[in-house]
Amino acid sequence: MKERKNVFLPIIGELVLTGGRPILAVVLALTVGAFLIIAYGKNPVEAYAAMLEGAVGSRAAIANTGVRTAPLLLGGLAVAFGFKAGLLNVGVEGQIYAGGAAAAAIGITPLPVPSWLHVTLAVIAGFIGGVLWGVIPTLLKAYRGISEIVITLMLNYVGIHFASLLIHEPSPLAKIDAFYPQSPNILPSARLPVLIKGTSLHAGLIIGLILAVIIHLALRYTPFGFRTRMTGQNPEAARYAGINVKKQIIIVLLLSAGLGGLVGTGEVLGLKWALYDFFAVGLGYDGIAVALMANSNPLAVILTAFFFGALRAGAGKMQVAVGIETPISQVVQALAVLFVIAIGFGERVRRTRLERGQEPEQEAVAHGG
Amino acid sequence: MVNEGDLALRMIGINKQFPGVLANDNINFELKAGEVHGLLGENGAGKTTLMNVLYGLHQPDSGEIYINGQKAEIASPKDANDLGIGMVHQHFMLVDNLTALENVVLGIPPERPPLLDLEPARARFEELVEEYDLGLDPNTPVWQLPVGDQQWLEIIKILFRETRILILDEPTAVLAPSQAMHLFRSVRRFAEEGNAIIFISHKLEEMKEVADWVTVLRDGHVVDTVDAGTAQPSQLAQMMVGRSVFLDRRERPPMDSKNEVLVIDQLNCLNDRGTPALRNLSLKVHTGEIVGVAGVDGNGQRELAECISGLRQPTSGIIHISDQLVSNVIRDTTLLGFIPEDRRKTGLVLGFTVAENLTLKTFGKTPYTKRGIIQWGLIREHANALIKDYDIRTPHSMVTTHHLSGGNQQRVVVARELSGEPALLVTCQPTRGLDIGSVEAVHKVLLRERNRGAAVLFISTELPEVMALSDRIIVMYKGEIMGELEAESADVNLIGELMLGHREASKVAVGGAG
Repeated sequence: MKERKNVFLPIIGELVLTGGRPILAVVLALTVGAFLIIAYGKNPVEAYAAMLEGAVGSRAAIANTGVRTAPLLLGGLAVAFGFKAGLLNVGVEGQIYAGGAAAAAIGITPLPVPSWLHVTLAVIAGFIGGVLWGVIPTLLKAYRGISEIVITLMLNYVGIHFASLLIHEPSPLAKIDAFYPQSPNILPSARLPVLIKGTSLHAGLIIGLILAVIIHLALRYTPFGFRTRMTGQNPEAARYAGINVKKQIIIVLLLSAGLGGLVGTGEVLGLKWALYDFFAVGLGYDGIAVALMANSNPLAVILTAFFFGALRAGAGKMQVAVGIETPISQVVQALAVLFVIAIGFGERVRRTRLERGQEPEQEAVAHGG
Repeated sequence: MVNEGDLALRMIGINKQFPGVLANDNINFELKAGEVHGLLGENGAGKTTLMNVLYGLHQPDSGEIYINGQKAEIASPKDANDLGIGMVHQHFMLVDNLTALENVVLGIPPERPPLLDLEPARARFEELVEEYDLGLDPNTPVWQLPVGDQQWLEIIKILFRETRILILDEPTAVLAPSQAMHLFRSVRRFAEEGNAIIFISHKLEEMKEVADWVTVLRDGHVVDTVDAGTAQPSQLAQMMVGRSVFLDRRERPPMDSKNEVLVIDQLNCLNDRGTPALRNLSLKVHTGEIVGVAGVDGNGQRELAECISGLRQPTSGIIHISDQLVSNVIRDTTLLGFIPEDRRKTGLVLGFTVAENLTLKTFGKTPYTKRGIIQWGLIREHANALIKDYDIRTPHSMVTTHHLSGGNQQRVVVARELSGEPALLVTCQPTRGLDIGSVEAVHKVLLRERNRGAAVLFISTELPEVMALSDRIIVMYKGEIMGELEAESADVNLIGELMLGHREASKVAVGGAG
């Protein structure tokens, strides 16, 4: 009876902590944010009310939140999926441009196919663009053991400027005599459908939602997912169990890069309708924050992406209504991530103590009984 | 050789208790200037603990230390260094991307801070290299040095620091025989200059080669100190393993059929450092027998187990299990059950549930995966059955494995590896770190497997359990089989000598077994 209790309590505690961790972090972040707002001499209740209204208060507000959620969701999934295999893909930023450029290349080319096929092909091209951007770090990681973090990060700069090169003449992707460097507009047949009429909310959000569910199911219910999680949690044990860890790393990191490519694809085909210089600054790094906060759980990524999207959408309204500058939303976002990390750290310390104390504790119990 | 020098070191009544073990039990130890003093003992005999106490890494629960007749309080390695005590650890403490010279001066305050002038140090470095004939370039980064040279660098580090008492913890483990001879000469020379050396080793020949005196430790206390020159190897071996606590030999029914299950022929392989770990090893294990592999830790046992399970590629030689050639990692649980040395690192994914760990090798096969979908219901049912069969103490199968105690974690590994009724079972140190009850359970399971008709290869550095469980015992030393004995009539002293690589004994043993 005693033993049962000892083992069982931490489990319930763990469940509460994993589920409650992001929510607790959000509450803490908003609380600290409230003090900052007070320091500005404004009323935090009014400010947050305005933010809420700006995020979900109307059809337009919801659409705005959705538009901002879509790339965060896809980017968060890219990072979270890689992390499940123990890989930290911080190259989403570069993959966005590679994917965006590939999607644009198909999107501006007139094809003798129906619209649904044209847009599908463009999306697939964007995914492949991301995958290709991931080839170098993947091969270096799998065959030479070189940190994927450094290589993916460095390739971000290459990716951003490579895309820039593509929209300057004489590149075939450059729009001739453009006032501002850009690609020709995406053909209407290759644009992502609009979800709410009269707004910019595009189908990129739907793609993200579907992929989140697919990734969740794949990780949970397929041998591939089992192998991925095993590789991430304990590659040595995975090798002992006969898993080809190298192959698993290759597949997961390439797919993760492909998801990164989809972020750019969504922005180009759904929102910008052309490839521009620096069209998605920082979105790739936001993906890391989103994944971190969701503890790399694909379903939780939906929630954290939505939270970040809503913060950003609501920040504008807050500025107009209460007069607080929009960066406050970025501060709250950063605080939320920091609190998640802090709570996670506290939990790890607790767990380590528990494990360290395990043997003597058992001794004590044995002697006591 | 032994001069009437001053007593460089006296340790009196050293006690050190760790949870569950008395690592040092009232140890007295004396060391004279100008002598090399060997410290001999099995794993866990307390040698390293005693030296860590001397070096300030552990604080004794009681006892006193005198250096040159002065009572010393050694609270940290820095205190030890200040008292002229230097230690070369078994695992090198070098900074890989600094040069040899930079490693040597690391931790020595510069003469004119904040400036660092390496030139005086370089001159002294080259002097030492000359004096001991080492051929070390001070400018080479450590990661480019072969391990033998890294060992020398560790020693130069110590010589730099006005060391009078030098502790060498198994210094020859990474050296080739000629390098070891070179080391012995240098050690003797260092002693002749009036310094004192404590030389820790498992190897009997080395003791006779280099030491003046040998102190044997067992189970945390001193057995005796003897003159290395006149001591007989068999005497030392007996002192080392001799009157250990023995387990009763397990009763077992005789087995009629004896078919070859594991056949290893002329196996060679390298260890992680890239030096030979197994040398032309040949071995057979039959149905219904437990073959115990005795030996001091690090003599190729782990590599042998990894080769058999397909985790390590041999450089040459052949392994067959039930007439199937081993060429890759074996996931077939009817062929091989493998209980690895380190369950937490290699046997289990601690962040996975018990149910997941119980199907770590079989999750991708029918019936656990159907049409590409994992059947969690079946996996849970399978887990519940094994939890009951193997008495795994857990509230349910979906508990994360790191919440289980060590003994229960080991039961998860055992249950997984045996549930397929494998033809061959290979276990590497399966009882290390377990409490008595769990050890008992593991022993029972191994005997049950033998009686079922499985071939069992039981690798352990705990001689008592090898003798209690095995039908046949082989002794490994430096990647070779030194001898083979029938367990029923095996002489513990003989095994002890074989474990220490004593060749004369091996001839007797092989003759006796044949």
